[in-house]
Amino acid sequence: MNPVRVQFIRQKLLECSYDDESIPDGVSSAKMLNPLTGLHVLDVGCGGGLLSESLARLGARTLGIDASRSNIAIAQSHASADPKLSSTLSYLHSPAEPLLSEPKRYDVVCSMEVIEHVNDPAKFLETCAELVKPGGHLFLSTISRTPLSYLLTILLAEHVLRLVSSGTHTYSKYVKPSELIDFFKQYRSPLEQQGEQQLSRPWINPNIPRPTRTEAEVRGLLYNPLQARWILAPRDALGSTECNYLFWVRKPKL
Amino acid sequence: MSLALATRSGRGIIATSKALKPLAPFSSTVGNPAENCDVVIVGGGPVGLALVGALSASDLVRQNLRVALIEASDLSKVHNWSMPHDMYSNRVSSLTNASQAFLNAIGAWDFVETSRTCAIEQMQVWDGISDARVTFDASEMGLPKPDLGMARLTENLNLQRALLRHLKHNGGIEMLDNTRVDSIERDTAENGGWPLVHLNNNRTLRARLLVGADGFNSPVRSYANISSYGWPYEVQAIVATMVHHPRGAFENPNRTAYQRFLPTGPIAFLPLSPTTSSLVWSTKPQLAKTLLDSEPGILTSMINAAFRLPAVSLQYLHDRILDAVNSGKPLVHSELTEEILWREKSHAIDSNSTYASALDRSSTADVVPPIDSDVVPPLVTGLQPGTVASFPLRYNHTDSYLGEGAGARTVLVGDAAHTIHPLAGQGLNLGLADVECLGKCIDNTLLHGGDIGSYTALLPYAQERYLQNHIMLSTVDKLHKLYSADAASVVWARTVGVEVLNELDSLKAALMMAAGSRPGSGAAAGLHSSMGWDLAAKGAETLVAGSHIAKMFGSALNDTLSGALSGFVQRATKNK
Repeated sequence: MNPVRVQFIRQKLLECSYDDESIPDGVSSAKMLNPLTGLHVLDVGCGGGLLSESLARLGARTLGIDASRSNIAIAQSHASADPKLSSTLSYLHSPAEPLLSEPKRYDVVCSMEVIEHVNDPAKFLETCAELVKPGGHLFLSTISRTPLSYLLTILLAEHVLRLVSSGTHTYSKYVKPSELIDFFKQYRSPLEQQGEQQLSRPWINPNIPRPTRTEAEVRGLLYNPLQARWILAPRDALGSTECNYLFWVRKPKL
Repeated sequence: MSLALATRSGRGIIATSKALKPLAPFSSTVGNPAENCDVVIVGGGPVGLALVGALSASDLVRQNLRVALIEASDLSKVHNWSMPHDMYSNRVSSLTNASQAFLNAIGAWDFVETSRTCAIEQMQVWDGISDARVTFDASEMGLPKPDLGMARLTENLNLQRALLRHLKHNGGIEMLDNTRVDSIERDTAENGGWPLVHLNNNRTLRARLLVGADGFNSPVRSYANISSYGWPYEVQAIVATMVHHPRGAFENPNRTAYQRFLPTGPIAFLPLSPTTSSLVWSTKPQLAKTLLDSEPGILTSMINAAFRLPAVSLQYLHDRILDAVNSGKPLVHSELTEEILWREKSHAIDSNSTYASALDRSSTADVVPPIDSDVVPPLVTGLQPGTVASFPLRYNHTDSYLGEGAGARTVLVGDAAHTIHPLAGQGLNLGLADVECLGKCIDNTLLHGGDIGSYTALLPYAQERYLQNHIMLSTVDKLHKLYSADAASVVWARTVGVEVLNELDSLKAALMMAAGSRPGSGAAAGLHSSMGWDLAAKGAETLVAGSHIAKMFGSALNDTLSGALSGFVQRATKNK
């Protein structure tokens, strides 16, 4: 699943860097090959560090955090064998909330397969959102709350095939893409402007039924059992977001 | 992956450590001078060189990876290789259009001396016993440029030199030639267990990815502990560069490849220039040894005879030559010529016919040739000195292309992964297809920030190549076995198979496509070629199945109809 996540992150950042430049040709070829170079990235719930390592290899200055000490130990020992990672990758044993008290904010915050395990998803989303720099990006991946996802991720994966241990997932905690969109239609992030606190405009314009391409995007993740490989579903493919999906939203610059 | 985090953050438990601890910088064990290297390729043959060629042509690789190639021999000799324009090296490969398209895409084909290569416009393949013949013609194939031929015969050294020049032009690759791998060991577990490649110049490379392009006796494969299965064929391949008169004004130019399937193995005539062609003759080891040891004229005469005389006479000549050697009085050339002349007479082959080879007809080269002179290659007049050599053949396929566990971070390409009978000329083409696929796989992994040495990153390479190679390997293996048989029923079945094949244009096109002849790029080409592979496999299966059925019928009919049908088959065979 990991290459597909990175593919989505990369494509989205590339798309935005095109949009940001007034002349598309102005995007340098190095940046076109690798839009992550030099960005500050936070991976919330990094687990064994699969995504963090990939992002660090792509040149992002990556911090992976996880609330499990053993996960961080595994991630650190795994990364220590790779000489390429020492300069760009670091890990921290911590949940996301304490980072709010630090001044540092990130160009990209990712949190993959975390929100469906969280007890207070709204609070969690707020924390992640606040850690993003203005104009920065938030990437999430999770599982939608549909009969199909119940069938595949709980009934099949936990009880029939026993790929993951029973109780890993809780159906009621699954989040639908529309719920994430609705959250960011209301969410205004605090902005610091000349010392006084202001709120930004909502991350997604609430007056338009669907978020525009520059605000947010939902893409389905499909598993092809013949190739034993995940693929990124095309935009708006029918039914593609009924189970696993990726979500991207951009923080307004002002 | 982050269940623990979730439950904890959900309960609001906050970890105490707030300081951002940077990761401890990488350090290898004290006193270990291992140099970190992203891709270490062992073996500087055509396949290894093509892989570094593909890597050096990729921007992503150039920006991200340190690549080194280790080769025991002196590559500068290959780099500076040259030969007079009328002399050719004896190791020649038929590069399919797919292989050429790959070499073109990485920019290496520009460095090939194309005047030393020859496009094959036609292929004639026939059965040594029944003479059933199938003809492939490039003009039937719907190629965008038929004059490019269905494949291009290229000296291996010409290709290797081109790849080395291409590498020099691109730069960015460490070429460690005159360097041997002393041993390969596994790094300690806390260092990730990466392969440590100890070189004979006291350097040690710590490889993120170790590529075995090191041939059949691959040290990388032994390190990775990948087993393989296969069997030696009881045949020895004789190679040589043959010299002959040019084709006349009334004949097709020398751009037709010929292959005759004899019961002892196939003999192939591969054109290089109007007066030079390359020989690949697989035959019994004892005969190969005897032919190589006898005076040069004997081999020349036997080559001409092998394309012309009926199988029964060839068998007689083989026995005659071996008997003479065993009795301590090897045949001299004049004795052999006499024997061949006698055999020709007994088969009623006129001395002016296409099938006559005993008499030197060079003086009559400019008279009108027999109307069927295109069915056999031109008469060989001599062999280029120093080009006659032989090597054993075997079938081999490893159980996996990727090392796992203690042998992790290894991948095999080319002959290290598979060896194939040369009858279809596919060995190098399979190897080139391997490295094309591996190069793309590495590129794709870099694009997504993956670890190019990891099993998951390399899996697409194994998934794509293993089955395709296996289909080709098995098809060629079965063709070899099918044509080694001389039981009448099998001959009948394959004769019918081949002759029907010659009529069925669609199947033939599929087989030709299977030879990778359709040039192209992108997904559509991939689809075409995989379709071709499947059809080719089916074609071979049909032939084999046909032979089984014929055998079955043969025994059943023997009982009931007193072998009337098999008798007919035998008569039919004898008449031919």
